[in-house]
Amino acid sequence: MSAPRATTWRERLGGGRAGGSLLAYAVLLLLAVVYVYPFLVQVATSFKTDPEAVANPLALVPQVWTTAAYERLFLRSDFPVWFRNSLLVTLCVTAGRVFFCSLAGYALARLRFRGRGVVFASLVAVMAVPGVVLLIPRFLVVKQLGIYDTFAGMIIPLLADATGVFIMKNYFESVPRAVEEAARIDGAGTFRTFWSVVLPMARPAVITIVILSFQGSWNELAHFIVSAESPELVTLTKGVAQLAAGQLGQGSQFPLKLAAAVIMTIPVAVLFFVFQKRIMSATTGAVKE
Amino acid sequence: MSTTMRRLPATAALAASALALAACSGGGGFDDPAPGESPGGATDAPAGELAVLIGSSGDAETDAVTAAVEAWSAETGVTASVTVASDLPQQLSQGFAAGDPPDVFYVSTDHLAGWAANGSLHPYGDQLANVEDFHDSLRENFTVDDQLVCAPKDFSTLALVINTDAWAEAGLGDDDVPTTWDELADVAAALTTDSRVGLSFGPEYQRIGVFMAQAGGGLVAEDGTTAIVDSPENLAALEYVQQLMTDGVMAYPADVGAGWGGEAFGTGAAAMTIEGNWIVGALRNDFPDTPYRVVELPAGPAGKGTLQFTNCWGIAADSDSPDAALDLVEHLTSTEQQIEFASAFGVMPSVRSAAEAFATEFPEQEAFITSADFATGMPTAEGAAEVISDFNAQLEGLANADASEVLASVQANLQAALDAAG
Amino acid sequence: MSTQRAVLARTASRGSGVRGREAQAGWLFVAPVIVLLGLFLVLPVVMAAWVSVSDWTGRGSPFSAEVDFVGTQNYSELLFGGGLATQDFGTALRNNSWYVLLVVPTQTALSLFLAIMVNRKWLRGSSFFRTAFYFPSVTSSVAITVLFLFLFSATGVVNKVLQAMSVSGPNWFADPRGVLHVLLAWLGVERGPAVLTDHAVLGVSLWQWLAGPSVAMSVLILMAVFTTSGTFMLLFLAALQHISDEVDEAAMMDGTTAWQRFRFVTLPMLRPTVFTVMTLGLIGTWQVFDQIYTGTQGGPGKTTVTPAYLSYTASFQSQQWGRGAAIAFILFAIIITMTVLQRRVIRGRDKDGL
Repeated sequence: MSAPRATTWRERLGGGRAGGSLLAYAVLLLLAVVYVYPFLVQVATSFKTDPEAVANPLALVPQVWTTAAYERLFLRSDFPVWFRNSLLVTLCVTAGRVFFCSLAGYALARLRFRGRGVVFASLVAVMAVPGVVLLIPRFLVVKQLGIYDTFAGMIIPLLADATGVFIMKNYFESVPRAVEEAARIDGAGTFRTFWSVVLPMARPAVITIVILSFQGSWNELAHFIVSAESPELVTLTKGVAQLAAGQLGQGSQFPLKLAAAVIMTIPVAVLFFVFQKRIMSATTGAVKE
Repeated sequence: MSTTMRRLPATAALAASALALAACSGGGGFDDPAPGESPGGATDAPAGELAVLIGSSGDAETDAVTAAVEAWSAETGVTASVTVASDLPQQLSQGFAAGDPPDVFYVSTDHLAGWAANGSLHPYGDQLANVEDFHDSLRENFTVDDQLVCAPKDFSTLALVINTDAWAEAGLGDDDVPTTWDELADVAAALTTDSRVGLSFGPEYQRIGVFMAQAGGGLVAEDGTTAIVDSPENLAALEYVQQLMTDGVMAYPADVGAGWGGEAFGTGAAAMTIEGNWIVGALRNDFPDTPYRVVELPAGPAGKGTLQFTNCWGIAADSDSPDAALDLVEHLTSTEQQIEFASAFGVMPSVRSAAEAFATEFPEQEAFITSADFATGMPTAEGAAEVISDFNAQLEGLANADASEVLASVQANLQAALDAAG
Repeated sequence: MSTQRAVLARTASRGSGVRGREAQAGWLFVAPVIVLLGLFLVLPVVMAAWVSVSDWTGRGSPFSAEVDFVGTQNYSELLFGGGLATQDFGTALRNNSWYVLLVVPTQTALSLFLAIMVNRKWLRGSSFFRTAFYFPSVTSSVAITVLFLFLFSATGVVNKVLQAMSVSGPNWFADPRGVLHVLLAWLGVERGPAVLTDHAVLGVSLWQWLAGPSVAMSVLILMAVFTTSGTFMLLFLAALQHISDEVDEAAMMDGTTAWQRFRFVTLPMLRPTVFTVMTLGLIGTWQVFDQIYTGTQGGPGKTTVTPAYLSYTASFQSQQWGRGAAIAFILFAIIITMTVLQRRVIRGRDKDGL
């Protein structure tokens, strides 16, 4: 039997024909266009007039540039209020989740206490409850606790996050014990050890939680529908959903709605591009939990 | 294993502490708030301040109601704020369930029965100073168990709205105004061009029902306990509409790119539409360049028929200031105020004292007023609204549906609802 | 010796002191999370369970004295009643079943395909492609729904593109016809056979069960695949990168074709990831709500009503809180069952395969 011949780099990687790689590029490019074009059209349409948006939807460059949609959004609607509310809620939820999840994760990873196993098991059980089941009941609980229609009612229930605890726990378990023991020997208390020594070392995990919490609460809709009703507490998601239902007047008003959708997407998009690599690996890690 | 042994008491402790914490933080436990007491929230205005929630048909209505409420505020010194709901029934439901509803709000005939039954509404009808002035048929619509629950705020009927430019273009004159079903079909055909459909109206009982009335059919019998949906008259009406669609002379607004009949009409996608008084204000605000006239709907095999809609001003049972609310409602249903609303967004006053003034001031809306003579209202039994909404869902697919099957299913559902409401 | 013992004694006492403080700290640290999860995950489920077996009408507290226990009335009305409640529930289940049936395999296959394409080592600009495919997953469902409402409107982008190919696109979001029915009508079958139209399950005739997703629902299906394929692509990418090159080369040495390599080497090694993706897909698709609330509100013709949305409307619009809660629990049961079933099927195959 003769030795296998050296394979060319083309043959190695499928296809075996010169056209194989070209085909692959073409397919990928076509798919990429399908994925990216809608967002480009979205931005372009937000600068078109209402009639042009209907008559000429494909064009990526408006015939007549107009910022009427944005003006309407920022000057003659509650959009700024929505933005402020979303920002407030998201920041509070993110900060809260980082704090509570890292505390709990550290305790489960490093502190020995009775019932630790039970707590861990219940966390796993709790994660199995699908979100949809909680929609109405959360409304009932928020109402009973007297925090309905307040920021507290919107923020506090979102602080409950079992996945975050898992992520922190897993990361803390990989932190070498030597560091903690050194701190202990120096006389630091448990909280001090956690806060000033171990937590800073867990920066990658903390960033993961920040990203996931920001994205999750910024894009949350159902909870905001049920936990508040007054117009001063409307967030971006709820507000844009109302816009889509035609709250600001007659007609299709596509530029207006798409402008709202664009502005709504900018913060998460910025976060995404800045932390791209982190996000992409975080998603893999978080989902595996 | 020792860990399992340790787990049991720990589990119990965990469960107990969670429940205990929950109970303790329950803001005073699980008691009902006393009637009139408000648990607090952002819409809950401080005592003496009123929150008004409306479901608006457009900017015209919003502005008119806001102006009226502000005028009242200035006069009485009580602050009141008007909010437009994006989904009125849902927001009200949520408000009632949370014990934190607005003080004054629109209530439609659909929801009256349900909310009156679960005690969400404050029945103030007898306390109204102008209670005798309301039209009898409207008062009846809002009477539950012999008690007038709320004051009718206005009413509208459906009539045929015609684009006069398109009419003239098609070579039609005054004599051609349709008075029978066949004439309507002919006129719609004459008005249909490549870019425009002759007639358009929404895919719902609230529009198609006019044909059912004209054919001698309807939803509920006079006694209010029998459903008469599955009748040959109703079948004739649905088949007539199906024929119009198949011939291409009539289309639903969604099929011509509009959200409702008025928009289809205003944008020129349809030459005629079937709508109510509110179209006057909507056209004036959004499509001022479309010339129109309003005529009575044609008569069907059983004569003339149309539908009538009305809403009332509801006051919440949980409201802090029912007296101030009552005063506001009296102001909003007063003769002068109703005429102002009529001119702002086109509705007909619910009080008899304003009827003459309305007829003189708005001669172009004459057809709406005369239609009131042969108009039928919507069923008010509890549960009927859901059946109608299911009927509407089926009507959306009327073009390809079997009309008798649709009617049969609605008959079954409606009878079940009437039996349950008993 | 004595110093050693003293040191040991000291460390022992310090150990128990530290141990005690540690236990305290441990409980203190997990307390907030426990309280939060207890209040906002456990308690709601308990309350909903109570509401689903009571006749609470929506005013006042569900635990007040006036609210009565009605047993399984809400559940039986939904499942066996035969009235409008059953019909709506049956319709919702039908809609969601088609949604799940079409979304899960499509998104799994597409994301796997994307991952394989992007994984080629010689691909330049792979990070550009990864970003492009993943970006939709980052945006909110509300923003994407608004975007799709525009793209698929009667005179929108999609219809214009179809026009260019001489195909007349339907009025996507307003079309309640079931896709399968449309196909059958094309082939000349207008009305279903009596066997199917005369028998009903949950108030919906078998013929209607087989109508397929409506045209409007199909847009939602496309939207779901569009937004989730990126996330799952990343999962597959991570798994593919774990498959060592040696395994691949060994397979190549044996003279296998690319397709055989994929089928008999790569795919089996990806099985855990496929399982994860399908489980997540199942759990997600059975809960679809945001898109319906924002885009179609259940229409046209109730063909985009899903159990999650029905639960919401039954409670908040029709004031039937008991029914809404009952629907949520039935949905819970469905999701758990599907997840367990799927695990059994995949595990079973593993045992046979190996």
